[in-house]
Amino acid sequence: MNSTIFSYYPSEQKPGGLKVAIQPNMSCEGWPSNAGSRALENYTALEDATVIRLLKKAEARIVGSVHMGELGFGLAGDTGGQAVRENLADVALITDNMGEARVAAAFSGLVGFKPSCGIVSRLGLIGLIPSMECWGVIGRKIPHINSVMAVICANDEQDFSMTGETLPDFNKGLLQFKPSETIGVADKYEERLTTTERSAWKTAILAMENAGFQIETIKMPEPKLFAQVHNVIAAVEASSSAGKYDGVRYGHRAGGTANWNEMYLKSRGEAFGTLMKAYLFQGAYFQFENFAAFENACGARGHLLDETIHVFSQVDWIASLTTREKPHATKTESVAKHYEAFDFTIPASLLGLPAIQLPGIACDGNMDFGLQITGSPLSDPELLALGAYLEPKKGGGAEK
Amino acid sequence: MTYEAVIGLEVHVELNTPTKLFCDCPNRPGDLPNLNTCPVCLWLPGALPQLSQEVLEKAVTACLGLNCTIQTESAFDQKVYYYPDLPKGYQLSQHHKPLAKNGWLDILVDGRKSRRLGIHHVHLEEDVAKLLHETEGRTPVSLVDFNRAGAPLIEIVTQPDIKSSEEAMEFLKVLRTQIRYTGASECSLEKGSMRVDANISIRPHGSGTLNTKVEVKNMNSIQNVGDAIAYEIKRQTGCLEKKEPVVLHTRLWDPEKKMTVPMRSKFSGPCVPDPTVPAIFISDTWLAEKKAKLPEMPARKVDRFIKSYGLTRDEALVMSQDRDLSEFFEKTVINYHQPRKAANWITSHLIPALKELEKSISEVFLTPDRFQSLLCMQDQDKINAKAAREVLLRLLDENKSPEEIVEEQGFRQLSDIDALEALVEGILQDNSSGIQDYKAGNTKALGFFMGKAMKATQGKANPKLLKELFTRKLA
Repeated sequence: MNSTIFSYYPSEQKPGGLKVAIQPNMSCEGWPSNAGSRALENYTALEDATVIRLLKKAEARIVGSVHMGELGFGLAGDTGGQAVRENLADVALITDNMGEARVAAAFSGLVGFKPSCGIVSRLGLIGLIPSMECWGVIGRKIPHINSVMAVICANDEQDFSMTGETLPDFNKGLLQFKPSETIGVADKYEERLTTTERSAWKTAILAMENAGFQIETIKMPEPKLFAQVHNVIAAVEASSSAGKYDGVRYGHRAGGTANWNEMYLKSRGEAFGTLMKAYLFQGAYFQFENFAAFENACGARGHLLDETIHVFSQVDWIASLTTREKPHATKTESVAKHYEAFDFTIPASLLGLPAIQLPGIACDGNMDFGLQITGSPLSDPELLALGAYLEPKKGGGAEK
Repeated sequence: MTYEAVIGLEVHVELNTPTKLFCDCPNRPGDLPNLNTCPVCLWLPGALPQLSQEVLEKAVTACLGLNCTIQTESAFDQKVYYYPDLPKGYQLSQHHKPLAKNGWLDILVDGRKSRRLGIHHVHLEEDVAKLLHETEGRTPVSLVDFNRAGAPLIEIVTQPDIKSSEEAMEFLKVLRTQIRYTGASECSLEKGSMRVDANISIRPHGSGTLNTKVEVKNMNSIQNVGDAIAYEIKRQTGCLEKKEPVVLHTRLWDPEKKMTVPMRSKFSGPCVPDPTVPAIFISDTWLAEKKAKLPEMPARKVDRFIKSYGLTRDEALVMSQDRDLSEFFEKTVINYHQPRKAANWITSHLIPALKELEKSISEVFLTPDRFQSLLCMQDQDKINAKAAREVLLRLLDENKSPEEIVEEQGFRQLSDIDALEALVEGILQDNSSGIQDYKAGNTKALGFFMGKAMKATQGKANPKLLKELFTRKLA
């Protein structure tokens, strides 16, 4: 095992099935769980998250815990993709708040999957943005991802935020896919792209057409709206979620303080990184100073969902690139740049839709921006089947 | 200029469910500190709240008892503030979409006139942890007890309809009776299962304006609430008369000094919709089931007691104040045909005795059956009234029938004519001077003879028979 990739791994590896890498915000009994933040330094998980329990029961091997971005916000320092690429794990679980799993997969030339909101229990996920976060799965092979989903997509009566509807069935294996379906592309999407991005995008369109899909132009809401609405709501939720990191019961507590207020201020000041602080400040601003903006954002989120669901009455899937040429998502220094880096993955996170990142399709030379396909709610197994159909069989462009 | 007070109350009631609001931990705040805790109520990272169905039912029942309209949709918000009694930095409460709205309670003003006071809304929320400040040691420390964290509360927010401290006290008594009837809480200010904050403002008499209010906390009895409001009305009237502004803030009632003292500026933190606890949707059928399960409430019971048992309104009011006691009364009179006598015994003897013991009727050994036989024994002159009162006291503490106690203690009344006649003759023989007094018109002499006879029989002689015998013999 490798400690630049893993923040923790058990000294004795059990033999068994699929090798699964996790992040230190996914509770695994007895393992350090600092969620990539000093706010939770020396915190150890008391019990398994539902997902971990299900995986253990299915005899998966939880090989270790990788490094992650602070509290699952962004990808600075994340090593999940590396763990899979270097074959230390078959799949890695990456928390997806705004596209982290898909973008991490794209950077490593892997498949990344973000399930529909509410089909995987969040119990034991040390989260930040409850209405958006989910367990993303990245891997080299779609069948691996499908078999993980078949295990972890299960009702959990301890997570009241699950859909309560009939869950999608991943156990039928990857269905034989019929490429008579339509894939939508947002009107004027190309205008948003750089020259290199546009070239990669054209390759992807060609690959989809060659695979037999019909490409249709669709009218999508103003792209900037998704990011703005995501930013306001997610920052508020993050501010609330991170409220518990006060150093009273666990985590980092600053020394030499005279009273509670000083203890709070100093402990939190020392606990969070610059990007996280900026984000929490934003959230607190909307909570305390501009609640009307937050309410507007909640209303807008509903409209965005309605409009996007309407698009799915016209086309079966929506396609875009996964990543941008710049800024690079692991190296963002401001919240604004951060949102730019996750531009294409934010809509599915904001609206709770399933989305898959496919490598080797949207390429320009040796630049692979990743092809992202987004589906309607609960179309997850079909989306994986589509991915398996579209996935290049031996690298470089789709084959029939 | 004369002024009038505008008063609104915020009443927190701790529901008596076996578990907390969002987890299965026992809802017993008084246990050993931090015994009843789990990842959810400690808000450890990764824990998820699970709304208790039982708490929801109890809260809805309590709201129905307050004549509220239960809302089809209600939802939790995060009330954000940082304090060590609140480990996650926000309290889950229902700010934007409360569970119930538009309730009311009728109170009696000056003991006769009925007045309806409005309830703006009732919402569910979780209690916070309890802080214990140890200041005695070398280094003062603050300890946190999480037993109370996550305990289920309902907060009842009234309309600013209340005009005086008396009305506020009356409202709280009616509210307590109503909620106790529904079985949702004991509503004890003294024990902390009910907490009252009062918002008070003053305005020129008859004007419709709402002036700056002051919030008063820390009253631990209904009397304290009345005293605090009366004090605050006087204080604010004084401010207005001296042309000093009333500032929006919170004050604490000091029960020792009988005055309110400033505490802090009033809290006004944000309330953000909580994304983790799903909204509550209540269907008509579910609500109809809860309504059907609601017990007969006091107002209707009073009317029925008057009609069915011939009680006066005052007697019926006392008999229906406490649900357990009202049921005790009804079970007693199934086989006892003097309901008014039963009611009077309950009022004059049983209620004071329970108060003395600081127990409720469900916490003593006395059963309606035993109470009924006790009353019958007295009716049949087997025991006299004084003995009956003593037997009643013993029936509270001892798991025995009244017959057993009467036998054990030798309370049985002496009604044997021959024995009593012999006794009377003996007393008269020994006290001839008394006979002369009596014949000279001193009626007190009869009392003297009765006293002698009672003493000789240790109070067990049937006084009615005794009096008849003395009167006859002295004639």
